[in-house]
Amino acid sequence: MLHFGPGISPWPRSVAGTVTLLAVVSAVGRISARPTPPQTSSVPVPLVTYNRDISPIIFHSCSICHRPGEAAPFSLLTYSDVKKHARQIVDLTQSRVMPPWLPDPQELRFADDLRLPDAQIDLIRRWVEQGAVEGDPADSPPQPKFVEGWRLGEPDLVLTAEKPLILLPQGTDTYWNFIFRVPIKETRWVKAVEIRPGDKRYVHHANILVDRAGASRKREAQPGAGFGGMEIRIESEVFDPDSHLLFWKPGTIPYVEPEGMALRLDKGTDLILNTHLQPFGKPEVIQPSIGLYFTPHAATKVPILLQLENDLKLDIPPGQKDFLVSDDFTMPVDVDLMAIYPHAHYLGKDLQAFATLPNGGKQTLIHIPQWNLNWQAVYRYAEPVRLPKGTTVSLRYVYNNSGENPLNPNRPPARVVGGNRSSDEMCHLWLQVLPVNFDPTQGDPRMALQEALARHNVEKNPGDFEAHYNLAAMLQAKDNLDEAIREYELTVRLRPKDAAANNALGAAWVAAGHPERAVKYLQAAQKARQDYFEAYYNLGIALAQQNDFEEASQQFRLALRLQPDDANVEANLGAALAEIGRFAEARLHLERALQIDPNQSLAKENLEALQGDVSAH
Amino acid sequence: MLIVTMLASSSLASGQRTALDLAGRAVNPLTAHSGKVVVLVFLRRDCPVSSRYAPVIQQVSARYADRANFWLVYPDKTESPQVIRKYLTEYGYHLPALRDPEHVLVKLGRVQITPEVAVFDRNHQLAYDGRIDDWYLELSRARPAPTTHELEDAIRATLAGKPVVKSEIRGVGCYISDLE
Repeated sequence: MLHFGPGISPWPRSVAGTVTLLAVVSAVGRISARPTPPQTSSVPVPLVTYNRDISPIIFHSCSICHRPGEAAPFSLLTYSDVKKHARQIVDLTQSRVMPPWLPDPQELRFADDLRLPDAQIDLIRRWVEQGAVEGDPADSPPQPKFVEGWRLGEPDLVLTAEKPLILLPQGTDTYWNFIFRVPIKETRWVKAVEIRPGDKRYVHHANILVDRAGASRKREAQPGAGFGGMEIRIESEVFDPDSHLLFWKPGTIPYVEPEGMALRLDKGTDLILNTHLQPFGKPEVIQPSIGLYFTPHAATKVPILLQLENDLKLDIPPGQKDFLVSDDFTMPVDVDLMAIYPHAHYLGKDLQAFATLPNGGKQTLIHIPQWNLNWQAVYRYAEPVRLPKGTTVSLRYVYNNSGENPLNPNRPPARVVGGNRSSDEMCHLWLQVLPVNFDPTQGDPRMALQEALARHNVEKNPGDFEAHYNLAAMLQAKDNLDEAIREYELTVRLRPKDAAANNALGAAWVAAGHPERAVKYLQAAQKARQDYFEAYYNLGIALAQQNDFEEASQQFRLALRLQPDDANVEANLGAALAEIGRFAEARLHLERALQIDPNQSLAKENLEALQGDVSAH
Repeated sequence: MLIVTMLASSSLASGQRTALDLAGRAVNPLTAHSGKVVVLVFLRRDCPVSSRYAPVIQQVSARYADRANFWLVYPDKTESPQVIRKYLTEYGYHLPALRDPEHVLVKLGRVQITPEVAVFDRNHQLAYDGRIDDWYLELSRARPAPTTHELEDAIRATLAGKPVVKSEIRGVGCYISDLE
């Protein structure tokens, strides 16, 4: 799952920011064979046969996963395959455990709906009751043809996890994150991502998150090793909400983004594959790979991911069977809703989201009456759902923290609060929306959405540190520094020792032209996190602006120790040294900056000025 | 050709229905070693729940190794000794395995699902048949950990010469009758 979180706030390179996320793609594939409608003749009811009546259903709804190399534990491709599981198939279709599809039927249709019609379930039952007869092979539709290997053909770029994970034969579910460093030299546009999660029998689902700041690498014990954790947070330093849900579950066929909606990948971007793995009796080596398909066309339509949530309201007493959590967000602009992704952990029972339109009409967006984390999924709508400005999207999640919930991670039940561990609970609903009907001269409508959401979150939970932080970052991105500083001050009041909050407040004061007010916050940020590169860099800038070049150059040197190849810091260090007359040293650092980045304009200008100065002397 | 056919049918005609070890020899697991409780564990290679139980089955069998004989029983007649051997290696099993193509042991143990177990006392009387524990609720829903342990309860009661309190609780997994 994804998360918004405090970003880093390096000044003056970019504004502090919110953000994160991942990416889309879901979809359970379909094949062309269509089930024959049940027979409704009046004269003697013909015997239900596998070849005529059942195989179309199996080919359409089962074989995509139930075949060699796919996620399902056995194949369902032939009469004898199906016969060997016939009664089981009756049970599992009647209980709707299979095919796995959690939402109730509703007016708004989902793409790739796997739900079997009642008539087909009944037909399977009658077939087994009548003796599971094979029938005439001539009645059977042809065996479905599946694409082997990469579903969309050979990818333009294949990345494989550097180190595999050894999944132990026994134990609880495992959540592991693999980092893929994308070896591109310039920005590329991605129209599709195919996730091959390794042996599919052990992988329940996988999500890709886009990490543009390299923040996740710090969590690896060694480079390439990956790291554990069910929910990950990715920090970002700019307003750059990733807008794609890149999701894999068994049966997923890679989703090709609609024209104009490619995903941007920059040099240095990491893709984080968040996987949910289930031990299955024997040790297993899990080494996922992902295939990227590029397009030369830059995105022209950029959707955004909005997160409704209310984790702070999750404080569920033991024994509570119907604990309701809600959130209601009103759209500030017209949007098209493309996809929806509900998420809770093991106490989640009934998950619902609906829209209340400006005319008062209500529309169910999704209703999952019996939540099952094992089958969580991104649901894409068959057609985009128009939500006009003023539409309120509501989430209503019900949790069961009693002993009657067999999936309860605590025995006996215990108090459960919101959090990232699988024994904590979560209340998230992601919406992928595309702003429509907007005036491009009035700014990026995604900004209006983010700001409205950030203000909503602050009102909802005034003590929510992240809400204030994200709102402040939004405001700073809009150059509304006064209000941004007020919000950052609230974050520092809520968490006085938080490194990111102190750094952001300091950076905002520098940006507002008050470097003298920034110093104590930047020092607090360094104290809170001694390897906080941005805090050293920002303090260097703050001191330089107060003409304390000696101390500023010390801060830049400390920053360089943490990030040796930073052209910006080298350039600033060179400039500071030049100010105190240490020209030879200054020149070295300016030249070093240009070695790292030949286009570093500050270094270029200063070097020229330095040469001018020197020749003037 | 003709001779082979006759031999085959004569073997059937003799009515010799029995479980077989992986070398094809007839074995009666109840009488193979006397004086011990016998546990038959019924598995299907293509049943995911069966497979996921492998570590549990091995741990329980190790705990009672000196007092109970455990046998793995494969009721799918289409599964060859070779594929069963491969499965045993993959899952790290060290227990003897039997094929039960005629479902002789299935009937004796009154089992219906894989994985299920049948526990026989020292006098070869069926003391318990059914699930190992309550880990699984249905095929795609398992508890974080089981809260009841029917197999171990049955073994302990049988070793103590006491009746098993719950002598039959069906398992969650795959129907053995689908193999007929």
